[in-house]
Amino acid sequence: MDNRNVSLPQDAAAVQATEFAAPPVARKKRINRAKLQENIWGWIFVSALFIGTTVFTYVALVLSVWISLTNYDAFIMTTFWEGLGTLHPEGAFYWYKFMFSAEGPFGVAGESADFWGTLGTTCFYLIGIPIGMVLSLGIAVLMTRDIKGSGVFRVIYYIPTVASTVSIAIMWTNLFGSNGFITQLLGVNFITGEGATYWTQRWCIIILTVWKGLGGTVVLFVAGLNGVNASYHEAAEIDGANAWQIFWRITMPQLYPTIFYVLVTSVIGGMQIFAEPDLVFNGYPVAGNQATNGTRFNTPFVGFIYGNFEQGEWAHASALGIVLAVIIFLLTLIQFGLDSRREKI
Amino acid sequence: MTSEKVMQKASPENKNGFTAAMKNFFRRFAAGCRTALRVFCGWFGFGVFGGFSNKRRKKVFFDVITYTLLVIGGITMIYPFWWMFAASLSADYQTLLNVKFWPENVSTQFGLFYHYGNAIDLLNATWQTVTIGGTAYAFWRSVINTLLYSLVPVTIGVMTSAAAAFAFAKLDFKGKNFVFFYCLAAIMVPFPSIMIAQFCVYSAIGWTDNGLALIIPGCFGAILTAFFIRQYLYGLPTSILEAARIDGAGYWRQFTSFVIPLAKPAIMAQFILSFMGSWNNYLAPQVFITEDMWKPLTLAIGQLDTSYGSDRTNAPAVMAASVLALLPILVLFAIFQKTIIGSIMLTGSKE
Repeated sequence: MDNRNVSLPQDAAAVQATEFAAPPVARKKRINRAKLQENIWGWIFVSALFIGTTVFTYVALVLSVWISLTNYDAFIMTTFWEGLGTLHPEGAFYWYKFMFSAEGPFGVAGESADFWGTLGTTCFYLIGIPIGMVLSLGIAVLMTRDIKGSGVFRVIYYIPTVASTVSIAIMWTNLFGSNGFITQLLGVNFITGEGATYWTQRWCIIILTVWKGLGGTVVLFVAGLNGVNASYHEAAEIDGANAWQIFWRITMPQLYPTIFYVLVTSVIGGMQIFAEPDLVFNGYPVAGNQATNGTRFNTPFVGFIYGNFEQGEWAHASALGIVLAVIIFLLTLIQFGLDSRREKI
Repeated sequence: MTSEKVMQKASPENKNGFTAAMKNFFRRFAAGCRTALRVFCGWFGFGVFGGFSNKRRKKVFFDVITYTLLVIGGITMIYPFWWMFAASLSADYQTLLNVKFWPENVSTQFGLFYHYGNAIDLLNATWQTVTIGGTAYAFWRSVINTLLYSLVPVTIGVMTSAAAAFAFAKLDFKGKNFVFFYCLAAIMVPFPSIMIAQFCVYSAIGWTDNGLALIIPGCFGAILTAFFIRQYLYGLPTSILEAARIDGAGYWRQFTSFVIPLAKPAIMAQFILSFMGSWNNYLAPQVFITEDMWKPLTLAIGQLDTSYGSDRTNAPAVMAASVLALLPILVLFAIFQKTIIGSIMLTGSKE
């Protein structure tokens, strides 16, 4: 690295100076100057991203934490500064206590039923991740076989991934709705009508997410499978392993990084599911205790946050958001922990 | 084969009654089954029960299975889009429900694409405040807004991300690893948990009334974009940049005239992916944009769906609007599919 910097003339005059006349001290200085310039330019190039990340993510996160400790209600307080000014009168952690305490009969506020209900719904939607991964792994294995036209299939499977969620959700309401195509095909009401419970409604969303997310995972898995070292396969084949053994003992361990990447990103994304249920069920009557029994089962956690935001309870919504961030952070941590344990074994 | 024949010959001579006959029959039956299975599997190229395996035939057998499964899956992927298009052409809601491949009763009375115009009229009627010179243009306004929110931040953002990627991949500066992981850790912060704080600040400084809330933050680039471009830049030889450096090119010059042209495939792919992401974005505009004037297409269609959700007679129009929102993205994908998928595969395999 340093060697390279020595051979970096910044201008012709400097080159001549170092080559003919400069004492060793000056040479050393020049190295430092080149190094300094690389440092400065490196920071200039990353500055936009660095500032953006700091301001729009980290500062916003700190601000969120702060807002969650106040009693900021958009319909009562008119300005931002007013809302931020004071902590919640009933203790800074009021909203955190509120979301974990049960709803009582006489003035005992709480929403733990809604909290755990919406969180459970979000976790139920996560079922789509393993289903999608198994399906896409199978499809990726089929695509990496030596067949013609696998590129065409790759493109076809990727189309739902790029398609607009809004359009797809609206299509889904018509396909799965009462008397829709799927209902006529399978004879099951998914969203409304006879026999439609919140379980069928949830499965409708899971089918949507699996269908939509399949293509991206397939492409990643195909890339991973193409990257698997072929010489191991040949060696195993010569040693008499059958295709099944080769797949589990040779291919899967090498595919593991891709699987891990897909899992981590899908869990982070899956915890934030919002648009699909929102559009399929035509918005939620969310917000706290106002939700009726029939619909609050399908509200994901972000929908719950959004509902409280819509109602102007911004401090409340912020507190819920912070809890979501903590949950996602813990889930990611758990996954990385399992990953590191696997490395040791 | 020979031993079976011997057994078959030997069995009639051995007259030990019914049990032996039954035994014999089953033995012969089992042998027949085995032969049949061998012939059957052998035809597909599998060597079972001493038959010879045939690699070519085995491959054909698995190819047929592969194609069948992939075609079924492909139809599952494609068909809903076709259904959507056909549904948008159907004359009324009842026809829409019965659409299989083509509506039984297309809206011939007012032209085939009647519902596309209808969707635009419906949206104009919903957002009546969005007018230009007295005429409502809510739909086209939302298209313009979407283009604005997609093109401006994505173009600038991808360039800033590329600059950061160049610094991460090819420069050696103090704190590089810190900055990289500092930015990468931001992925874990979910948007729903910071959107309220963002909204508070944006509304305090007046960005929510005019769409700046969706434009400015995007201009600062995204770490995932930078990450993918960085992966691509790792694959490029450093010697080109070193040669440029020796010839006296400064870092800015290296970036603009070497890195950008060389990393063009990755930058293009990330540009298109980010463009699609912005085009399809739903939650951020729903939170940040308060004025009908500045709402993008996704919100417009969501609005159509909710306002006419109970009135199912407008379902074909809503479907038509969804097709309109989908079409540009699909066209874009059709044009750039090689770049997009190639880039994802290239960067994805290097994880």
